[in-house]
Amino acid sequence: MRCSGRPLRLFPAWILLVLAVACSRAPETARATRPLRAGLQSYPASLSLIGNTDRNSEMIAALITEGLVAYDARLGVQPRLARSWDVSPDGLTWTFHLRDGVRWHDGAAVTAEDVVFTVEKVRDPTTQSRSYLSQFQDLVSIEAVDPLTVRARYGTPYADALDSWTLPIIPRHRAGADPDLLTGEFSRHPIGCGAFRLKSVDPGREIVLEANDGFWEGRPALDGIVLRVLPEERTAFEALLLGDLDLMSVTADLWREAQVVPRARRLARFVTYPLSAWYIGWNQDGSNPFFLDPGVRRAMVLALDRTRFVSRVLSDLARPAVGTWHPDSIWFDSSLTPWPFDPAAAGTLLDESGWRDSDGDGVRDRDGAPLSFQLMIAASSQEMTGRIAAWVQESLAKVGVRMTIERLEWKAFQERRSTHRFQAAMASLHFTPIPDQFELYHSTSRGRGLNYVGFRDEEVDRLLVEGRRTFDSRARLEIYHRIQRRIHDLEPISPLFHFASPVLHDARLEGLEPSPRGIWLIEPGPRRWRWAPPPGGD
Amino acid sequence: MILGVCRRLASGLVTLLLVSWLAFALIHAAPGDPLTSGSSEDERWFLTLTTEHQAEIRALYHLDEPLHRRYARWLQDVARGDLGLSFHDRRPVREKIGERLGTTLGINLVALVLTGLLALPAGGLAAWRSGGAWDRLSGAVVYALYAIPAFWAALLLQIVFSVKLQWLPLYGLISDGGERLGILARLVDRAAHLALPVVCLSYGGLAYLSRFVRASLLENAFGEASRSARARGVGVARLLFRHGLRQAALPMLTLAGFVFPALMSGSVIVETIFSIPGLGSLFTEAVLQRDVPVVMGLTLITSVMTLVGVVAADLGYLLADPRVRRAPG
Repeated sequence: MRCSGRPLRLFPAWILLVLAVACSRAPETARATRPLRAGLQSYPASLSLIGNTDRNSEMIAALITEGLVAYDARLGVQPRLARSWDVSPDGLTWTFHLRDGVRWHDGAAVTAEDVVFTVEKVRDPTTQSRSYLSQFQDLVSIEAVDPLTVRARYGTPYADALDSWTLPIIPRHRAGADPDLLTGEFSRHPIGCGAFRLKSVDPGREIVLEANDGFWEGRPALDGIVLRVLPEERTAFEALLLGDLDLMSVTADLWREAQVVPRARRLARFVTYPLSAWYIGWNQDGSNPFFLDPGVRRAMVLALDRTRFVSRVLSDLARPAVGTWHPDSIWFDSSLTPWPFDPAAAGTLLDESGWRDSDGDGVRDRDGAPLSFQLMIAASSQEMTGRIAAWVQESLAKVGVRMTIERLEWKAFQERRSTHRFQAAMASLHFTPIPDQFELYHSTSRGRGLNYVGFRDEEVDRLLVEGRRTFDSRARLEIYHRIQRRIHDLEPISPLFHFASPVLHDARLEGLEPSPRGIWLIEPGPRRWRWAPPPGGD
Repeated sequence: MILGVCRRLASGLVTLLLVSWLAFALIHAAPGDPLTSGSSEDERWFLTLTTEHQAEIRALYHLDEPLHRRYARWLQDVARGDLGLSFHDRRPVREKIGERLGTTLGINLVALVLTGLLALPAGGLAAWRSGGAWDRLSGAVVYALYAIPAFWAALLLQIVFSVKLQWLPLYGLISDGGERLGILARLVDRAAHLALPVVCLSYGGLAYLSRFVRASLLENAFGEASRSARARGVGVARLLFRHGLRQAALPMLTLAGFVFPALMSGSVIVETIFSIPGLGSLFTEAVLQRDVPVVMGLTLITSVMTLVGVVAADLGYLLADPRVRRAPG
């Protein structure tokens, strides 16, 4: 007996320890104003604000510093550090007039030199600015005309050039001292001119931001923001339920769970629809006999009961898509609606293009060849891909189309898609906030862009080029509405769904605004978030 | 004896090379590279670059070179003590591993000690009254424990102790404002944070080790061989410590060599679930980001530790068992 007694006596000690800690849990949530605590799935790749950017580092950059312009929730461009700008008649020279009196967190003034410095840093490939690098590829020169004026010259006129000026500006007098931006002192303790300033960093664990009292638009309502790394989303969800976390984006599973768990009742919830669409691309380069005809492409979509699939399978966390222009953006042509579920119309269209079931085997045929094609999908961890493919297969079978599913490993999928060796391919497409979708639809984008399906239409080509060169916003809107209508008619690719990104948050947090760019990367975004006063005033 | 040690080290080095090449080849065989990370969103920025820019960035990561050249380059750097720069954040891999090594080693050490402290008496008692109630009960319990996967246990423990009972913190290593606590309070805070992860890391080893102790003791202290000793009037305590545990120490040393790497791999799951910034969660992140230098650095360290464990166990053999010492080679 003696030999086992001693270690077992450890157990009461553990319990004591546990009790001591349980009692010492401070009533953290009681304070009226406290920092917002949000979860990050991974630690940002870099805190240099412009270098080696991933989603999380972009989000932190947007909190700490500002760009010349920023997107609002409907993807309109709003002036920020630049109070105004003019474009030369040839569209090649942009002149930005900076706001006077904006200061870095250390008190120094924000000047045109800082803007020039930031752009030069971004254009240096070693900074690995990812998306920004490609946006400034066409920039010929940039100069500071005076402390509050920046002039940029481009090689070709490009109406969406403003998109690149959402670039977060960094202070030259700080970042310029580091030989390597990504590893230097600045990347450890970045400063900016934004509404929040970096208070402390615990690499891999936590980033603490505090309100910037000297912010040019006035102090934000929140005292601060604590970003905590919680890689396991189940842990983050439990923390949210316990009140250890105030805000997180969740997956569909947790969203469903939050609707039935009683502890989640005190949470508020909403969904945002990110800039992406789930689509099927129909290869129309002539390598298959099916998809050259726009009628056949449209028939495929008319055969799909998307509304039913969304409510039955996708728990209403998606909506049928009508195009690749985001329905919540100012550029969207709201006269367009998703193709309805109409199998009869699908049958008529297929009949008209000569695909009839002449031998009575249930599969349509033409000139002796059956309407039987292969859908290529990437086998990934998302089982949803497989479920959507199976549903498409089943729906098409009902209108006499035989579809087989080919699952490929992601790299192989990419390879086959970019070399156009497929009949139909399904994937998710991420698009940018700008209306220009040259890469996706212009006939010359077949080789290097994203026009994998080999779509070619003279009118669309012409309008796409015109849209890039038209600076008047009303005229642009008209051009992009025409493009959308034309593409909707021709259906070169079939956008099926926009998937929702659900957000759960403490119900007392107010001012959150859903947007295609999420909740963080928009204007005013986190600057307008605030805690509702407690009802009893505690 | 020295020759034996040298031979052991040399074969270990060969193993190390093979392991590192295998890891290097495997991570490159996985879909996606650090520039595209396998997701279409990340892929897009890269595709829209001009060919020159693409080439420039590929060259920055040496992704333009053939695999064997890159491996040779990595090997050369390692020989110079340089693990390279992380693809993900361009920080030195040595620094990234260094700042997280302490956490993981600390947690694993506590888990290891706890395992030992519980396994010895549990196994000992089971052996002493072999076939008795405790033996049967503990046998059933440890087999059940051995079968429980760590991720499941971790989530279950979180739900019971952090969510329902709210006795222990859900995640992390330190409470909000924990830096401002006094030494004692901070110690208690740290212990409370460590409790669940340590339990998750140790129960599997506990199951294994306690059964092992039982088997060894049955054979050496309470088995046939010990009967004559008892007949000669040797006391139970002497029998247990001089005969039993000393004999059992030998195979246990071998085990200990392997327990540590096993704990390290357990850390991958446990640290991710409990949001502990240690080597385990670093490994998960690095694999997801295709951060080859970090994955290689961690593989190297784990392999070296396994090797050290095995060699140390062998050396332990030499010290503990005169027969091994006398044997040639």
